[in-house]
Amino acid sequence: MATASSNIKGFYRQKKKESGIRKPTSTKSDKSSLLHAATLGSDFTPPSALVSHGSPDLKDDYDKNEDVLRQFDMNSAYGPCLGMSRLARWERAQRLGLNPPKEIEDLLKGTKVRSECLWDGCI
Amino acid sequence: MTAMEIDTEKNIQRKHSTYQSLDKTFDIQNEIYRGQQYSQIYFARLHTMRTLLYSLVTHWKPSCPCLLMTFISVILEVSGNLEVMVVFRVLDFNGIGCEVYVVDRGHLYMVLVNFISGAFFKFFFSPICNGLGFCTVLGLEEGKECIIVGTLFKHMQLKPCVLDEYSKERSAVPLVKPHNFMHPDDHLVLEDESGRVKLGGTVLSPSTYVTGGVVALHGKETTAGDFLVLDVFEAGLAPQIEPQLKSREDKYVVFISGVSVGSSTSNPLQFQLLVDHITGHLGDEQEQGIAAEIVHVVFAGNSVEIPLGLLNGQNLASKDQSRVSEAVQVLDILLSQIAAGVSVDIMPGSNDPANFALPQQPLNRCLFPGSRTFNTFNSCTNPHCFELDGVRFLGTSGQNIDDLKKYSEARDELEFMERTLKWRHLAPTAPNTLGCYPFTDRDPFLIESCPHVYFVGNQDKYGTRILEGSEGQMVRLISIPKFCNTGLAVVLNLRNLECHTLSFGAQPSTLKTFNDA
Repeated sequence: MATASSNIKGFYRQKKKESGIRKPTSTKSDKSSLLHAATLGSDFTPPSALVSHGSPDLKDDYDKNEDVLRQFDMNSAYGPCLGMSRLARWERAQRLGLNPPKEIEDLLKGTKVRSECLWDGCI
Repeated sequence: MTAMEIDTEKNIQRKHSTYQSLDKTFDIQNEIYRGQQYSQIYFARLHTMRTLLYSLVTHWKPSCPCLLMTFISVILEVSGNLEVMVVFRVLDFNGIGCEVYVVDRGHLYMVLVNFISGAFFKFFFSPICNGLGFCTVLGLEEGKECIIVGTLFKHMQLKPCVLDEYSKERSAVPLVKPHNFMHPDDHLVLEDESGRVKLGGTVLSPSTYVTGGVVALHGKETTAGDFLVLDVFEAGLAPQIEPQLKSREDKYVVFISGVSVGSSTSNPLQFQLLVDHITGHLGDEQEQGIAAEIVHVVFAGNSVEIPLGLLNGQNLASKDQSRVSEAVQVLDILLSQIAAGVSVDIMPGSNDPANFALPQQPLNRCLFPGSRTFNTFNSCTNPHCFELDGVRFLGTSGQNIDDLKKYSEARDELEFMERTLKWRHLAPTAPNTLGCYPFTDRDPFLIESCPHVYFVGNQDKYGTRILEGSEGQMVRLISIPKFCNTGLAVVLNLRNLECHTLSFGAQPSTLKTFNDA
């Protein structure tokens, strides 16, 4: 490899500087309370693979709201998630007296999140 | 409009009754298929029944009441809307506390009350019944007795499976009884959200149960991984509203099913005789007086039979088109004769031009251009629920019982009907072997209020019995035979819920109608 050392920088992309618009990082307590909100009322502890530890470089196209909603989808206390919209499943859980956390309803009605469950379109 | 047109001086007026249809839960109005799954309806069923069974289980294993009622007021004070259910036992690990069982929004909680301070610590959801704990299937511990609640699944060897087509061994064992798929080796499995467990022991006999029922089982897990059942608990009959049966006059309701207009086995003269009898065109004054006491007529399914050879998917020739609609036109003419005088309900059945999956939607009113002009004509869903003068009726066109016959056994149809009432579910085999619409938010076949009259149409023979429940409920069970085969219609007296048959014969030598009680 008789490349000049000046070309090495061309090979390896430098890290981007911290500039421009970034999503505000949430505080840890806020995030964990929302995560646990989705699993309230059941024995179910989500496996750590599903709990997002938020490393910015490896983030897919979902954010922490979507993460919370995915926890809600996976929670078996509220029944199967496939084939129903998330809001319909939340309302069913409410009607059956399962006390689903209010934050989920606010997320689904307020912010711009996916209305269908995690597996919609995949199965 | 009076039912009389013949030359009598006094007109006999037909009696009236108040009719209220309760079919709202069976309507599929704005539901659209968007990929709903059947697991949703099983979840709704399991959750509703499990909450119900938890609250009823104290009747099953009653314990002695506790003496510490004084502390209940403390609990009620602290959290407003808890209802105290029953106090089970005093803890004695530290001698200063007791367990109180409270029901909050359908969930059973165990609450620890500290005597000294009166404060309480809300425990995690751990229902306990007379020392026996409830647990989920996954939480079963070997050798420990507990109570589990879940949906039954019956593993049947002979049940037709779509994968049999692809099995390499083409030498299939021929079914000895193609209409009943039972086998001595069938076994039951209990399933809930966490898992499933095979059921063993001799208490639970697989021939009585079918897939889809929800029960509570008391037993323990064995070393082999099975659950050894020691006792079974079904929900039993639902609570019933008292009908005011006193101070009533004789009012009759006529049930007919399986008229099958247009089929080769039906005799049009028999049906015409029935219509004439109901409308009072038959018999002398006394006979007409009896007919004037009929207040309602119910057609419980299979009113029409369209020749199957025409429905093979090919375009119909013009002469065949008229054959297809002939049967419905004849039915419409006869129905309009009845509707002119008395209120009539028509339910769809398995052979009728309605949808296949339960709950079958009402037959379209455009099929009955003559009858629909009368406001006494009601096209109803299958299953059908209505109230007549405060007496609650619930019935189907027979698909639910026919399916139970294929997958379980009983003495007669009435025993199948009794089981569906005790399991509080009209069609437990739906959606497993019986076509069902994929509801997601509810299971419409759960019986919340026990009917006073429960009827099933299109059965092989007539049968009736009074079923008594543990809390004083009384249900009249009626199995309505197919009219085209037997010529029998069933008549129920609203005053005392007694039943008799009306038999119509068209043999030249026995051309008469008679009531036999």
